[in-house]
Amino acid sequence: MQVKMPQLGETVVEGTILKWLKKEGDDVAQDEPLFEISTDKVDTEVPSPAAGTLTKIMVGEGQTVSVGTDLAVIDAGEGGAQLAEEPAAPAGEPAAQPNGAAEAPAEPPAAEAARKAEPVETPQAEPAAEVPAAEAPQAAPAAAQVPAPSAPTDVQAPPDRGPRSQILSPLVRRLAAEHEVDLSQVRGTGTGGRITKNDVLSFVSARAERPAAAAIPEAPPAPPAPSAAVPAPAAGEGQEVVPLTHIRKAIGQHMHTSIQTTARAWTMVEVNVDHLVKLRERAKEAFREKHGVNLTYLPFVVRATIDALLEYPHVNARLDGENLVLHKFVNMAIAVSYDAGLIVPVIKGADGMNTVGIARAVADLAARARARQLKPDEVQGGTFTITNPGPYGSVLSVPIINMPHTAILSLDAIVKRPVVVDDAIAIRSMVNVSMSWDHRVIDGEIATRFLARVKENLETWDFAEDLGV
Amino acid sequence: MARPARLIRPPGLVDYDDANEAMHELARSRLAGEAGDTVILVEHPPVYTAGRRWKAEDIVWSEDRIRASGAELRFIDRGGSLTFHGPGQLVGYPVLDLGARPDAVRYVRDLEEVVIRAAADVGVELHRSDVQTGVWSGHRKVCAIGVRLMRMRVSLHGFALNCTTDLSWYDAIVPCGLSDEGVTSLSQLAGRTVEVDEMAPLVVRHLEAVFDLELEPDRAEWPSLPATAASAG
Repeated sequence: MQVKMPQLGETVVEGTILKWLKKEGDDVAQDEPLFEISTDKVDTEVPSPAAGTLTKIMVGEGQTVSVGTDLAVIDAGEGGAQLAEEPAAPAGEPAAQPNGAAEAPAEPPAAEAARKAEPVETPQAEPAAEVPAAEAPQAAPAAAQVPAPSAPTDVQAPPDRGPRSQILSPLVRRLAAEHEVDLSQVRGTGTGGRITKNDVLSFVSARAERPAAAAIPEAPPAPPAPSAAVPAPAAGEGQEVVPLTHIRKAIGQHMHTSIQTTARAWTMVEVNVDHLVKLRERAKEAFREKHGVNLTYLPFVVRATIDALLEYPHVNARLDGENLVLHKFVNMAIAVSYDAGLIVPVIKGADGMNTVGIARAVADLAARARARQLKPDEVQGGTFTITNPGPYGSVLSVPIINMPHTAILSLDAIVKRPVVVDDAIAIRSMVNVSMSWDHRVIDGEIATRFLARVKENLETWDFAEDLGV
Repeated sequence: MARPARLIRPPGLVDYDDANEAMHELARSRLAGEAGDTVILVEHPPVYTAGRRWKAEDIVWSEDRIRASGAELRFIDRGGSLTFHGPGQLVGYPVLDLGARPDAVRYVRDLEEVVIRAAADVGVELHRSDVQTGVWSGHRKVCAIGVRLMRMRVSLHGFALNCTTDLSWYDAIVPCGLSDEGVTSLSQLAGRTVEVDEMAPLVVRHLEAVFDLELEPDRAEWPSLPATAASAG
């Protein structure tokens, strides 16, 4: 029988295998802990849905898969193999059934009666003989393919399928009465062909899904409906399937939360940086010699932005419930891409630095980010973010706000463009500086005034003195 | 139709290992049908606990420095990453049978609800986070939640609500692996001292309401509790 990733809640779509408690080839008793999974912040050990031999583990430790994904195969032995040839009662995929879905198929295999009868300290012990097998629920999807095997030493029933037992648990009788099920039409998948709770529930949900089939219990199994939980796709010709890394998922979650939470708006100014280009050309060699780092355009923009942030503290704010926390200092977060993804180290106290200090801090943080040597407190506490896709060639970007910041500024590529200067067309080095901002915190006027200030700083400041070269 | 359940609230500071062991023992008894649902409410001496997903970089201080500070460090079986327990923090371990088809997410949300309601009783408005478990004020966490299920059925571990907690203990770690978020306490938020003893009855009341329980105080002596629990069935 297939062991599937259980669903630990209606909203849970996937789980991570933390640990297999059995190896391939191990024997396992029904309800014995088989593996441990983790979803969100809840971990659980999952009991085996059946007794038998764990013949195959399909999903390794640390892997995250969708609910309903096949995780392992338990070979139930002789009885199970014979029974597998018989068509079983219809049952759909757990997450797909429109009604009664949560009822039958998602049933975790913990059996109340077996649980009580089985000493916890010795999970290998066989279930006590008085446990009515019909009360032991099976994982329904698996039961649809292979009836659950008998307990190893269940002396009450032969291991293969005999005539249907007349012994019905009170639970089954009650369920049958509740749902007006004619039990003679239900195919039993329990030990000795007994009708289990799941058989009844599967019958009920199948009846609801396909009314015509209700009267024809011999009908072939319903085709599995498309599952809400999508198993990992198999790689086709010329394809490669790569699982998402932890950091990729974390970035995804962070970005998705931001786009869902913030009221993002976007504003751009174009900045004439002709004099900055000339300054950098003139100063970069001396700068590297004196300060040991390359001079890029980013420190100029960081410096110009810090001044504007101090002037417009609402752009440098954090929304905290129904309050705004205005920062009177600037901890500048700089987006840095590296092989594993994106990280945003923070220049603490950036408002106390000149352009040289900023250039050194940027170079240091970026280098250590790429070497994965950042300390935890170096990626927290930022008040505003700058991203810098320009070196890769983009001329316009619409970044997602790095929550809880109010805004993120994008520095794109500097390009020579024809512009109008003093009513004449001239060629100048121009750059688009744009900002995504949270309309919950500021409005267009502040955003635009802020950007205009950044532009003015970049166009009018004489950075030469600040560079110390 | 509230289900009767036991409330165990030992006085003083309870050693983490004792409580952890008692909780697991109670859960095994619960699973075996030998005991009913139980809620343990305690305060621990300073201890850092690392859940299954802890990462080395979440511990800012060295282990030596942590021990030198008078705190212990424990690596345990719950979900989640690192957290701190200590004086001034109300820690709750509900050992409940969540049934054969547990909705673990719902259970965690219910725990959050209990804390949100209890905090509201002392005038502090808290909320959930869209992405992270726990109970928050703004971007600061007031109550950590970490849960494990035994046999996909009986709950272990629970919540840790900062009442008068000395928050400087959190400097040693990146709580729950969240580098961007801070930690706070009910006392800080309320602007007055909100003691564990003030919150405990409120938490009990809301546990009863949210989980439909009727909590009967149990005078079991600590740490003789596990034996008592085992014989309760």
